[in-house]
Amino acid sequence: MTQNIHDIQERKKIKIKINDNEYEVLEGMNIVEACDAYEIPLERFCYHRYLPVDGNCRTCMVEIETPRGRMLTIGCNTKVQDGMVIYTNSENAIRAQKSALEFLLLDHPLDCPICDKAGECSLQDNYMDFGRYDFRRIVPRYFKKGKAINAGDHIVLDQERCILCTRCIRFLDNITQTSELGIIHRGHASKISTYPGKPISNDYSGNITDICPVGALTLKEFRFKQRVWFLKKTKSICVECARGCSITMEQNFNKIWRFMPRENPHLNRVWICDKGRFSFKKYHENRLWNPILNQNEIDLTQATLELENVLKTYHWNEIGWILGPYSSMETLYIAKKYFGENVYALIPPATGKKDELLQLPQEYPNEQGIRFFGMNVHQQELQSKIEKEQIKLLFIVEIDIYRFLANWRELIEKIQALPYKIYFTSFQDETSKHMDLVIPVRSHAEIEGTYINATSLLQKSEASIEPENSFISSSAVLLSQIAYLAGRIPRIFSSNSEIYNEFKNEYEELKQYSFSNIPDFGIKLSLPKIANEPFQGVKVDFNIFMIPETQLTKMR
Amino acid sequence: MENILILTKRFSIPNANQLEVALKHGAYSSLEKLFSMKPEDVVEEVKKSNLKGRGGAGFPTGLKWSFIPKDTKKPIYLCVNADESEPGTFTDRYIMEYDPHLLIEGIINTSYAIKSHTAYIYIRGEYVKQYQILSRALEEARKAGYVGKNILGSGYDLDIWLHRGAGAYICGEETGLIESLEGKKGQPRIKPPFPAVEGLFRSPTIVNNVKTIASVPWIVLNGGEAYAKIGTKDSTGTNIFGVSGHVNQPGYWELPFGMRFLEFLEKYPKGVKGGKLKALIPGGSSTPVLTAEECEDLYLSYESMLAHKTFLGTGGMIVMNEHTDMVKALKTLTRFYSEESCGQCTPCREGTSWLDRLLDRILNREATTKELDLLIEISDNMEGKTICALAAACAMPVRSFVTKFRSDFEKYVKPISIPVHKVAEKIIQKEPIAS
Repeated sequence: MTQNIHDIQERKKIKIKINDNEYEVLEGMNIVEACDAYEIPLERFCYHRYLPVDGNCRTCMVEIETPRGRMLTIGCNTKVQDGMVIYTNSENAIRAQKSALEFLLLDHPLDCPICDKAGECSLQDNYMDFGRYDFRRIVPRYFKKGKAINAGDHIVLDQERCILCTRCIRFLDNITQTSELGIIHRGHASKISTYPGKPISNDYSGNITDICPVGALTLKEFRFKQRVWFLKKTKSICVECARGCSITMEQNFNKIWRFMPRENPHLNRVWICDKGRFSFKKYHENRLWNPILNQNEIDLTQATLELENVLKTYHWNEIGWILGPYSSMETLYIAKKYFGENVYALIPPATGKKDELLQLPQEYPNEQGIRFFGMNVHQQELQSKIEKEQIKLLFIVEIDIYRFLANWRELIEKIQALPYKIYFTSFQDETSKHMDLVIPVRSHAEIEGTYINATSLLQKSEASIEPENSFISSSAVLLSQIAYLAGRIPRIFSSNSEIYNEFKNEYEELKQYSFSNIPDFGIKLSLPKIANEPFQGVKVDFNIFMIPETQLTKMR
Repeated sequence: MENILILTKRFSIPNANQLEVALKHGAYSSLEKLFSMKPEDVVEEVKKSNLKGRGGAGFPTGLKWSFIPKDTKKPIYLCVNADESEPGTFTDRYIMEYDPHLLIEGIINTSYAIKSHTAYIYIRGEYVKQYQILSRALEEARKAGYVGKNILGSGYDLDIWLHRGAGAYICGEETGLIESLEGKKGQPRIKPPFPAVEGLFRSPTIVNNVKTIASVPWIVLNGGEAYAKIGTKDSTGTNIFGVSGHVNQPGYWELPFGMRFLEFLEKYPKGVKGGKLKALIPGGSSTPVLTAEECEDLYLSYESMLAHKTFLGTGGMIVMNEHTDMVKALKTLTRFYSEESCGQCTPCREGTSWLDRLLDRILNREATTKELDLLIEISDNMEGKTICALAAACAMPVRSFVTKFRSDFEKYVKPISIPVHKVAEKIIQKEPIAS
């Protein structure tokens, strides 16, 4: 993607006129992109910034001046030229735009009240902005297409609602290159269909429901669950692998209902993998709300007393700390900065699925954070320290080490033999069964924090939901409390953003960004990358520049 | 002038579709001269001849050939459009049936001119007999050395492939044909890029109609200027005019352009059957219809048709007598177009079926006069707003039928109905209820 950015700087700027106003755009853009850059309203269905142009919906009609007079043309397949004169609001253009919408709605079932897409449907939005409101569809509707067809593991297809924009077909042809969908029949009997007996099954299938401008493709996981206008959205990142795709977490009644990709041209464009998309479920499963002491639930006050007692029993130098790439930058920072020599960061083996698009084998979000702070990753050293009884009390922070039993058997056996082990976690997992004291902390969805992904992009994630037990704190804040108890830091930090604002001053690259100023696209760091840029094998030409921020949030 | 035969010269000879008979009557005689010329000179001759594409659009053939990029490194392809499926058009089939060697000769000439070494004949799937004749002729020509490596020792190679369509009207559109030939669903491509730059297999491609290509050997043999002398100034050469409908003797005749239509109608199809002339569809069903009055000063040429705001199209005329129900005639056409729309562009996919359903309504006597205006407005909204010309091909007849024969339509429709509450108001005000 960086090459693309260089391209942009080299590209010539040209002047065009849209609706009698002069604008400066980059050579090679098409008219729809030029309109987007200056927020000139222009309706579209089949055009999508990250897919090849198809030009079948015929709604982005504009008039351009030619030597033979004004000519109607589609904006998405017409490249801007120097001195081009474009009208998006001339009489002919508006008539063409309105009539195309009228044609689209001719056989649309208008089942908006029971349609899951209602509220974020391009057909609704465009009709509000560009539609003609007088009714003249006096012929009977032509219904003979399928409803609620099971089209794959996650996808339900409704052929009647479909407006045949072929965005889903182009996504499956060009991005995943699996081509499960196609159009069968001809004329106005055309419909989207899978091949018989071959459902949509790829790791990115959820994306076709996002780009579907109407309710033709819906997610089984979200169907009939929530109305989209009730959902509160927070900008976050996906923590399922080291890619750390930009997402929005959407919650209502303090429950997360879905993850949606958030546009980030430098990272995930507008796509996320199904593993990340459906990881929202885990934030409500196996949650730990109360501390556990020797397999018995206790309340937080008792746990605090127990923790204080334990800390008094052992000398600070006898306490060991295991952190992992699952924690946010803030947690890692507190441990690294204030906890002395016995802080170790373990990086689990990269055993996940890898592909050319987004998925990386490292199934944790912040491996680069460990490198950024230069933390001690020597497992052998930790092992020998435990052996020599230099470490007697061990804190394990947000890393489920027993999950990697096969790889770390020796270490885990030694840890098992320790007199006292404390585990900070959000979920009940394998490790929590073996610990003396388990203290709940806020999960990723409940904290704000920063993470550095595999391509060295520092991104921030905001808190989406409140924990049920609102007294539990994030691991970073909890660690700062412990450090305060031990007299190692002068004050307790009350939030992760405060910790970030503390450490950013130590790094030249971060200095200018306070937590609230971190851009939505993230901050590119000069840290060596551990993975390639995404979409290496996918050649879809698109323009990622001159898009105002307000437009980015609108993209579906 | 009238008896110059370019395309149908061997039609009257029995078994002219066999190579030995055809050879006796001058088939492949242009090749010797062709190979002595440079390809650029052939293109120049065709440009001089002012030959226009006979497929319907009437685009100058030589100009089309010259759009191929000069320095291309990709192979150049020739596609022969034999997917003759326009209603009312039935002339290409006779060339393939009676004189396939003329077509093959034309393909050799054209391929040589555009420096192509591979040509495809895309033949309509329903033309089974023509396919068999053409494939046999191709085999004969291959054996005799007219097709293949080093044709007649000239060092020029050409391979010709015969491809059968699967029965879609849209595959007669040049980019639809290319998609279909590539093995995809027959859907026109978005332009630009034009096929001459990026067509079949992403290489420069020329798509020409059978009649256009069959005219090329004569031009090579006799020179472009000689061809330009036939016909009128803007419509040079000859064309095969096919006439169907209410005439005493339906059929096809090869004629130079420029004959007066009424004279032609009396002389060749022997006049209108069963009454007076009411309407004429001049060049395949997608061209705007003409009334009897408009036919008075109509000549069989591109420019005269344009002056009457219609097109010569393919030259397949449909004649209708005074007893024709224009609504039912139009319904036949809209049914065809709504079936044959490929379904890619919104205005065409939805518009053609909307027009069809509106005509159903009119025929069921449910419609009001308002719907006649709606027919015209939908046509306006469809035409020129799609990737290919199918939407226009449906919109043009609808608009011309409704405007020119409105009285026929008005017999079916009710006057504009008055909403119930308006009737109630009038009753209260004791006004006479008028429509």
